[in-house]
Amino acid sequence: MIHLNNIVVKFGDFTALHDINVHVKEGEFFTFLGPSGCGKTTTLRTITGFIEPAEGTVVVKDRDITHVPIENRNIGIVFQSYALFPTMTVYDNIAFGLKIKKEKRDEIDRRVREIAAKVDLNDAQLFKAVSELSGGQQQRVAIARALVTNPAIICMDEPLSNLDAKLRVQLRNELKKMQKDFGITTIYVTHDQEEALTLSDRIAVFNRGYIEQIGTPNEVYNYSKTEFVCNFIGDINRLKEGFVAKLKEAGADVDEEKHNYVRLERLHVNVEPTEGQIAVPGTVTMREYYGLYIKYYIQCLDQEIKVIEKNDGIRIYEEGQEVNVVIDPRDIMAYPVRTHHEEQ
Amino acid sequence: MKNSKAGILTPDYLFRMVGLCLFAYLFFGFMLMPCLNTLTSIFNTTNAAGQRDAFAVIRFFLAGNMKSYVWNSLKLAVALVITVNIVGISIVLLTEYFDIKGAKILRLGYMTTMIYSGVALVTGYMFLYAGDGIITKMLAETFPDMKTNWFSGYNAVLFTMTFACTSNHMLFLRNAIRGIDYNTVEAARNMGANPFKVLWKVVLPTLIPTLFSLTVMTFITGLCAMSAPTLLGYDSINPEIVRLAGSSTADEAFPQARAALLSIILAMFTIILLTILSSYERKGHYLSVSKTKAKLQKQKINNPIANILAHIYAYVLFIIYMTPVVMIIVFSFQTYAAVRMRKLDLSQWTLVNYFGKQDYSYLTSRGTYKTREGSISGVFSNEATLGGIKLSFLLSAIAAALACVIVVIACNYIFNKKNKKSGVVLEYALLFPWLLPTILICYSYRTFFNSNNVWYVGNQNLYFAQNVRLLLIMAYTVTKLPFSLRMVKASFYSIDEELEDAAKNLGAGGLYTFLRVKLPIILPSVLAVFALNFNSLFTEYDMSATFASTYGTSYAMVIQSMCREEGLYGYNINASGRRCASTVFIMIVSGIILYLVYGVGARDLSERLMAKKRRKQFMYKVTHLFSRKQEAVEG
Repeated sequence: MIHLNNIVVKFGDFTALHDINVHVKEGEFFTFLGPSGCGKTTTLRTITGFIEPAEGTVVVKDRDITHVPIENRNIGIVFQSYALFPTMTVYDNIAFGLKIKKEKRDEIDRRVREIAAKVDLNDAQLFKAVSELSGGQQQRVAIARALVTNPAIICMDEPLSNLDAKLRVQLRNELKKMQKDFGITTIYVTHDQEEALTLSDRIAVFNRGYIEQIGTPNEVYNYSKTEFVCNFIGDINRLKEGFVAKLKEAGADVDEEKHNYVRLERLHVNVEPTEGQIAVPGTVTMREYYGLYIKYYIQCLDQEIKVIEKNDGIRIYEEGQEVNVVIDPRDIMAYPVRTHHEEQ
Repeated sequence: MKNSKAGILTPDYLFRMVGLCLFAYLFFGFMLMPCLNTLTSIFNTTNAAGQRDAFAVIRFFLAGNMKSYVWNSLKLAVALVITVNIVGISIVLLTEYFDIKGAKILRLGYMTTMIYSGVALVTGYMFLYAGDGIITKMLAETFPDMKTNWFSGYNAVLFTMTFACTSNHMLFLRNAIRGIDYNTVEAARNMGANPFKVLWKVVLPTLIPTLFSLTVMTFITGLCAMSAPTLLGYDSINPEIVRLAGSSTADEAFPQARAALLSIILAMFTIILLTILSSYERKGHYLSVSKTKAKLQKQKINNPIANILAHIYAYVLFIIYMTPVVMIIVFSFQTYAAVRMRKLDLSQWTLVNYFGKQDYSYLTSRGTYKTREGSISGVFSNEATLGGIKLSFLLSAIAAALACVIVVIACNYIFNKKNKKSGVVLEYALLFPWLLPTILICYSYRTFFNSNNVWYVGNQNLYFAQNVRLLLIMAYTVTKLPFSLRMVKASFYSIDEELEDAAKNLGAGGLYTFLRVKLPIILPSVLAVFALNFNSLFTEYDMSATFASTYGTSYAMVIQSMCREEGLYGYNINASGRRCASTVFIMIVSGIILYLVYGVGARDLSERLMAKKRRKQFMYKVTHLFSRKQEAVEG
């Protein structure tokens, strides 16, 4: 569907994207994830045509669109600010693209109402000013405006970042449902890893203009390809030398030369070790109570280990209490130490 | 992206080139060349023997009394900085910071200078305080020994301008004080500071940047004062420049070069002050760090004596502000005799000062009565006044619109990412008139274009006959460019860059995006700038006085002529009545404009849609009622 082949983008002397290669399948929900300044929005803007790459090609449905003008790409976009025209009503906002295409009046009206119904905007809302709508409704207008011209692809640039936490979760679900209903290929840009994990079919993790890993949410979370990915996605414990030595001593197959990580939920407190698991004694130094789960900070050997336990109401440990942290060495993700040169 | 040879001659490119040429024409032809001519004319003097003597005027300046004009202007400017700041800060604190009873009414009084200023205000004050003024007459009756001509010269100018120049305080200082986070005041109170200590240590320091700007602006206003010194008789720079501009070498030594020198001295002062101001502004302001600002609450003055004194002070100021307004409104509905005698006659009211005519009888030197038919005329029935209003209306509207169009096109160019460097050049070119006092620009126009040798205006003398109107339009436009640019540019900043991208993504071209997306967003601001430009030009005095001629008698000049002695041998009859009505008319026009700009213009789309809905409902009700009545009649 979409092929980004060896894309390089430069702003003056600064190279924003280095040799980007992505293949997005038809109907897929594909997310560009990464911290700010990593190149994810630049990649999106290269696809939509706001940026022309210095090298490489953008191919959509076997057609090279690298130098095709923005308006002829047939790619819809939902902006971070939604970019709804404040001087137009909801109706005029949605009809904008159709008017430019000089569609007939009846046809414009039919299509605007059709798409509005699909995104759950009623007639009264259609003739309101966009400023009168709530954040969620504004987002639906932005999506309707992007979809009404029947684009082949829809691109979304952090569309949830302006909203408060609760609304963000609610709209995330709506967004996913809408994408499923329309079945449209979607490229989604975000820096929020939870959003990426819950929404996406596949994720590309960006760092400093490179792609670190492309994979399903499960792949990038549980089988992070690089140290950056495993650090960026989710909370994690980096195991220090003392801890690793202790595991090795207990017979675990760990490489002391590498950086070793283990996710918080893979550790357990005071359970009976099963085969292959190792118990390391420690002291609870702090407890954070989240309701759904409890996070313990446990001083083990030379480091503090974070552990998450489901709040089942049975086992709650107090600060200062002596406990055992149980670890399965197979859950450890290990990465070779990168030199400074490699990191550059 | 790639510029092929064929691509160079696209309509878009040609349009841009034509636009840039026009800007260059405007800048070089109507800003730089005339002013440079003024600068060089200082050194174009000849001595008695007819030989060129480049520094004659400078020697003249150093030796003669020309310096006194500069000193007088400086003296006025310094004094104004003190008095305007005292009154300006007082009125803002009294209405916004301290808990004074009747603050809302007080505020309306203090804001009256926003609806009448310049020549209208000065003539209004003269109506009260001049030798034959209402208040002076009242005082003279009580104190027969009093000098009736007390209201002239320096003191009168200082008094009038002190109260006339507080509009900026009411606008900017009020906003600044309203922007203060009340939590900071509460924190200081909590730590034991009394209200005056809070004011001194917490509130005032945050207002310093605004106060600094206001001080510089007031200083420049004082330096460049025109209408008050001219009408009240004070020898400052501006009136002298206008006088010299109309003088000839037959009467005095090189008047033109002297006028040029004075205007350049004024320009130097302005440039220095504005440089200080902008470098100060660049240092940055105290930014409020709080994310959740609490609204300022009025501070009660706990000390009862201080409280009473504050109330007395507030209401004395209110009376000073309101008396001219009330008197002028009341007298504008009084008969000719009452206005002439400056005595209120509550038994007779009339509209003759606005509309219609009355006969005028007077005693001749032969002891007989003579009648002039229709000599007592109102603002809208007096040909000269109406002519002035029409001319000013037309010229101001054209110039205000022209300034807006130029600035909108320029901003669209400046905000295009591709034109970064040339955009900056264009911006500075349009800001150029900001550096120069208005008088320098008009004096330069008057001398430079008063010749048949300026090739780029077709060798036409623009100061001759009707052409002077064109010159007025150009001067009006050019002097309004910097203000318009600053305002319109600010509104361009409010256009989210993503909107342009969104329009482009949906297939819209550059022109379509500008007309359908950007223009509707900035239109309220542009209309506001148009209205404010129009408002200030409609009764503009400085330029009108410089270009005053038979064909260029603007409204301000008509108002000025209303201050001349009236009624002598039947001439200039009812000038005072028209003066009052004129001022009321100006107040109404300004009031409507300010309401449209800050009231209606500030509405967003949702409010406009609501208003539309209400109008529709109203119309429906009216037509419904009408049809029911008709049915009833037919039934």
